[in-house]
Amino acid sequence: MAHHLTDEEYKSQKSAVWRATFILSVATIVEITLALLHYHEWGPFEGMSKSIISSLMIILSLLKAFFIVGEFMHVKYEVRALALTILVPLIFLIYGVIMFMWEGSMWKWLRDIWPSA
Amino acid sequence: MANTAVQVDNNKKWGGGSRPMDASYGKLMMWYFLLSDAFTFGALLITYATLRISAGWTDGWTNANDAFKAFPGVEGVPILESLNGTPLAFVTLMTFILILSSVFVVRAVQEGHRMNQKGVAFWMFLGILGGIAFLACQGAEWYGLIVHEGLSMTYNPFDPATGLKNAVFENGHIVKEATSPGPKAFGNLFFLITGFHGTHVLSGIIFNIIILVQTLKGTYQQRGHYEMVEKVGLYWHFVDLVWVFVFLVFYLL
Repeated sequence: MAHHLTDEEYKSQKSAVWRATFILSVATIVEITLALLHYHEWGPFEGMSKSIISSLMIILSLLKAFFIVGEFMHVKYEVRALALTILVPLIFLIYGVIMFMWEGSMWKWLRDIWPSA
Repeated sequence: MANTAVQVDNNKKWGGGSRPMDASYGKLMMWYFLLSDAFTFGALLITYATLRISAGWTDGWTNANDAFKAFPGVEGVPILESLNGTPLAFVTLMTFILILSSVFVVRAVQEGHRMNQKGVAFWMFLGILGGIAFLACQGAEWYGLIVHEGLSMTYNPFDPATGLKNAVFENGHIVKEATSPGPKAFGNLFFLITGFHGTHVLSGIIFNIIILVQTLKGTYQQRGHYEMVEKVGLYWHFVDLVWVFVFLVFYLL
């Protein structure tokens, strides 16, 4: 039942994890740096729209999620059928995000055209 | 002839009595529970984003850089003092603590594959310490926000326009109300979501401690595999994954 590893497998697994950790740390530092540079309007970030920064942050977070799910939770190495049963349903979550962002902007539009009593 | 061979193989694989996805029942069920939990957290974060969009993403909402400036515990310490007042510094520390704690648990799982009882116990112990450290930080942050800033589930003293807290808060009471308080949903959803996540962290720590005790007792060594460590590890990584998105939505965006 136990997968007994050879020494090479063990070493490569260990280094894969530490490599993923390094990437996660770098991504986090970049996210924070972007947030602070934009907040303090430093140099080229002066007057920059938050949307570009936000998009970069979302991409970096998705990268982090990819490594956490793929490496730490081992999904990259699992049987493809198992990985799909976990990842494909998340399409509904993406759908939810998009639909509710649309809904939210509709609420904003309604708030704008109807003055408060 | 060829067809029946394929049919026999399919029956062997999917006909019962084997593991088509090469995972035990317990591991599969943990995965599907985590999937359901992902939808729950997703719903909460979507709620936050929708309300924030409806209020005017930046203009009508509290700026996280203004609300989350405190860094508890560094008063009087020479260089670290400046961290207090640096936006997002404390929450960055929390993120690193949780990421490292997750890595420690991965190492425990890897040692489990080698049936190394001492290794599993060592790394699980470090993972538990990381979890406790994260929860302590979360508690300190909540304390600062509730007691010092006056943020609650029904009152948000952070004025969206200026980012300043123009309410006066003393001895646990609002002495002077904010002239233009921020949207209530900010404080409400902040405590709801970080609280729900914190509860997951707490339960994760408890599970990890139980598994550590079982490891030290030799239960898994006798059983011949450390799969329980792997299953509980999945839960712990999920907690880390959720934090990545809570951190993104609340503090960064």
